[in-house]
Amino acid sequence: MKVPDYYYLPGMEDNSSQNHNGQLDPSGGGNVSNKQNDDGNQRTQYSIPGILHFIQHEWAKFELERSQWEVERAELQARIAFLQGERKGQENVKSDLVRRIKMLEYALKQERAKFHKLKYGTELQQGDMKPPVFDDVVSDAKLEADAPFTSVSNISWRQGRQLLRQYLQEIGYADTILDVRSNRVRSLLGLNNNAEGEENLNNSSSPAVNGNESSNKRASETQGRRTPAKKTQPSSLTEAMILDTEAAVMANFEFLSPDVDMDDDDDMSDDLDDQQDDETDDVKTAKRKNKSLLMNEGLADDVDAEAEEVLNELNLLTESEDAQNELRASGGPPALGFAGSSRRPMGALGDDEGLDSSLGLGELAQLTVNNEAEAAYDISSSKEAYRKMWNAKYTLRSHFDGVRALAFHPTEPVLITASEDHTLKLWNLQKTVPAKKSASLDVEPLYTFRSHTGPVLCLAMSGTGENCYSGGLDGLIQCWSLPSPNIDPYDSFDPSVLTGSLVGHTDAVWGLSIHNQRMQLLSCGADGLVCLWSPQNKAPLLSTFTSPEDGQPTSVDFVHNETNQMVAAYNSSHCVIYDLETGKPVTRLETNQAENVTQDKQINRVVTHPTLPLTVTAHEDRHIRFFDNVSGKMVHSMVAHLDAVTSLAIDPNGLYLLSGSHDCSIRLWNLDNKTCVQEITAHRKKFDESIYDVAFHPSKPYIASAGADALAKVFV
Amino acid sequence: MKMADGVTMLRRNRPGTKAKDFCRWPDEPFEEMDSTLVVQQFIQQQICHDPMNVAQILTPPEGQDEGVWKYEHLRQFCLELNGLAVRLQAECHPETCTQMTATEQWIFLCAAHKTPKECPAIDYTRHTLDGAACLLNSNKYFPSRVSIKDSSVAKLGSVCRRVYRIFSHAYFHHRAIFDEFENTTYLCRRFTSFVIKYNLMSRDNLIVPILEDEAALQTESEA
Repeated sequence: MKVPDYYYLPGMEDNSSQNHNGQLDPSGGGNVSNKQNDDGNQRTQYSIPGILHFIQHEWAKFELERSQWEVERAELQARIAFLQGERKGQENVKSDLVRRIKMLEYALKQERAKFHKLKYGTELQQGDMKPPVFDDVVSDAKLEADAPFTSVSNISWRQGRQLLRQYLQEIGYADTILDVRSNRVRSLLGLNNNAEGEENLNNSSSPAVNGNESSNKRASETQGRRTPAKKTQPSSLTEAMILDTEAAVMANFEFLSPDVDMDDDDDMSDDLDDQQDDETDDVKTAKRKNKSLLMNEGLADDVDAEAEEVLNELNLLTESEDAQNELRASGGPPALGFAGSSRRPMGALGDDEGLDSSLGLGELAQLTVNNEAEAAYDISSSKEAYRKMWNAKYTLRSHFDGVRALAFHPTEPVLITASEDHTLKLWNLQKTVPAKKSASLDVEPLYTFRSHTGPVLCLAMSGTGENCYSGGLDGLIQCWSLPSPNIDPYDSFDPSVLTGSLVGHTDAVWGLSIHNQRMQLLSCGADGLVCLWSPQNKAPLLSTFTSPEDGQPTSVDFVHNETNQMVAAYNSSHCVIYDLETGKPVTRLETNQAENVTQDKQINRVVTHPTLPLTVTAHEDRHIRFFDNVSGKMVHSMVAHLDAVTSLAIDPNGLYLLSGSHDCSIRLWNLDNKTCVQEITAHRKKFDESIYDVAFHPSKPYIASAGADALAKVFV
Repeated sequence: MKMADGVTMLRRNRPGTKAKDFCRWPDEPFEEMDSTLVVQQFIQQQICHDPMNVAQILTPPEGQDEGVWKYEHLRQFCLELNGLAVRLQAECHPETCTQMTATEQWIFLCAAHKTPKECPAIDYTRHTLDGAACLLNSNKYFPSRVSIKDSSVAKLGSVCRRVYRIFSHAYFHHRAIFDEFENTTYLCRRFTSFVIKYNLMSRDNLIVPILEDEAALQTESEA
């Protein structure tokens, strides 16, 4: 026991512990002990004050350590609770997915039956076609275990909210704004707080019953609560739930996202359940606890977006597409300019449209919030294909002028961009630059293709990913062979990358499209020609199509579900399908323009569906129009954007459509019911142009957009 | 091509626009531009208007931040230099120009690699332009296009120095290409005036006698 050592070091501590105990005069005691220390460093001198000092000091030290241990233990406990919560969330997500898989299988069987019936006129025998019945897997045993979570969630939710409010204030979001917004949402969504009270009474009497009827009732009530305008919903909902599994579960998912402003968590937990005996209340509650905490992160922008979404969805469902899109368009992107409001695919599982539309409002309003929450939380945002929210991941900055076109490699996470700065650049998304901000990763190009002497306007990638073709203002189509995605960016110049150029156009080449199986290339130019090339041949130019009465061709595409056909769109807003063998027009797509054809309605892009006989055109007058290839009739027309629609892309499965516009936004549309699933605001304007091109990756979940601000962005 | 309905003029190059109509819209006064890329728009407009009028192209509008002005001009130079690079690609082979030189004095090492490497001239050209693109677009040094960090302004000088060597190599070794390019774009002249005006390079490095030619022409015409 070394008494003297303790005299000097914790001089302060000694004093403080003495102050606490108040035993001796602190300074006097200290001095005495110090003097003693001076005198007898080597010899241990025991004196009463010294011993007392020592004991006090030790005690103080122990107390300190103990308090540290307490703190650590509390921290670890909190961590444990958090991890447990996470794990629970993960398990719930997993079971959700499994359920969804079952539903999809069921839906597929139904579709097959339908198809078979239509095609062959007979019933398809495929065995058991019962809708999947979900076992009450997680049964009462879990109830008790999860009970404690409910009480915890209430308090922690409030604390979380406080904290978030504080953060928001730090970033300049005043309390008043929050209050205003929450009031708006409250008034829109949770109007009947009274009705809730009644429900809660009902529900508390039967807390964990998973029978169909009570769940139906609850579902209908909550549905009714959320969409006061739609009184007819409960009845249809009840019928639907009994009949249709998927729709029911879709509505089910809606319940996962609580109303933002309701404080009675416990009651809400009773309300949350599903219609088909999927899970117990409390499992949901635990899941909701996670979601509610996280959802609050996106509170501010969600609330506003949600309010707008609700407004918009009301119109979307009830009116014709044109009008509603106008309204939505006038609502504009969310004020904060976040990643945009999200909309669930309505009936993404291919159900009755009527049912979906009735579910639509409440479902979509809630799902908006839910999606944002998931995106914020980041574990589940990429899990389910149908409710995927696209988020900006990579920013490709290296061009000096607007990026006019882009194309993905068929298999690798590689893309090529073509720009008005006369170059093309090759990018590998796996080679990112370590960036200070982790929100979006920067990528640097691997290779720069220099050969054009004017802005490069269009791009096409071959099906194998070995070659690409670019057309420019100089009238040339250059053929490139792609360097490997793993090359060193500063390698020696290899002139063989440029494999050749196709000469034939006398003016700017605006459109390129490639047919992968037949290795043929279509191009259209401002000289009025549409040319068909076979680049491998000695004499590549196969044939030329002209149509003087239609004006300049602006875009071309091969018709994917037919061989030997291609569609060409003109700046007179006409659109013609040609037969490639004969060179004659097969069908003229009916674009109704009675009056003089101005360039106001010019078609900026035409794409054909990979499997259906459908052609989609993007117009300067903000519309997107759908045509049937066989009859030539216009199937659908909708106002899609606030400004000219410049580009279109259809995903490889033929389910979604991407459109980009000069209003700086990209929209993802569900092709089944032509509704906008997501809107992303991206790119800034240069002169009056903003987004030039959009694209899907053929095999990976990437979408990309090319803008006039010299950036290309990739979303996952 | 441009929509002139009397109220709004859309400055757009729609698909189907002929090459001669590209960007053929009335000039927009600087004050009325309201996008984030105003400076680039303005510079490109001026160049389109009259590529020879170097003084006018280099004159910033009232109250324009000088750092941003220099930055956007440098971007434009790198953009236009691609034309020279494309022409050089055809003629400048690693076998003939094994090193990046201008006059006999200096051999320039390519700074785009981890350790400076003696690249052949065409590689030097490409690497310098690619490196300039990376630097000028990098989020680290130039995160915004409407304000430039003071610490990054120094980078502009080094980019200018390297880029100038492309001009000097072309002038001394591929004179025909240089002259042809210069007569259409007046780029070297503009670049030289630019670096002199904003003092981005020391005069000793400006070895292409471009301005003296101009001065000589002027005195001749006067006489």
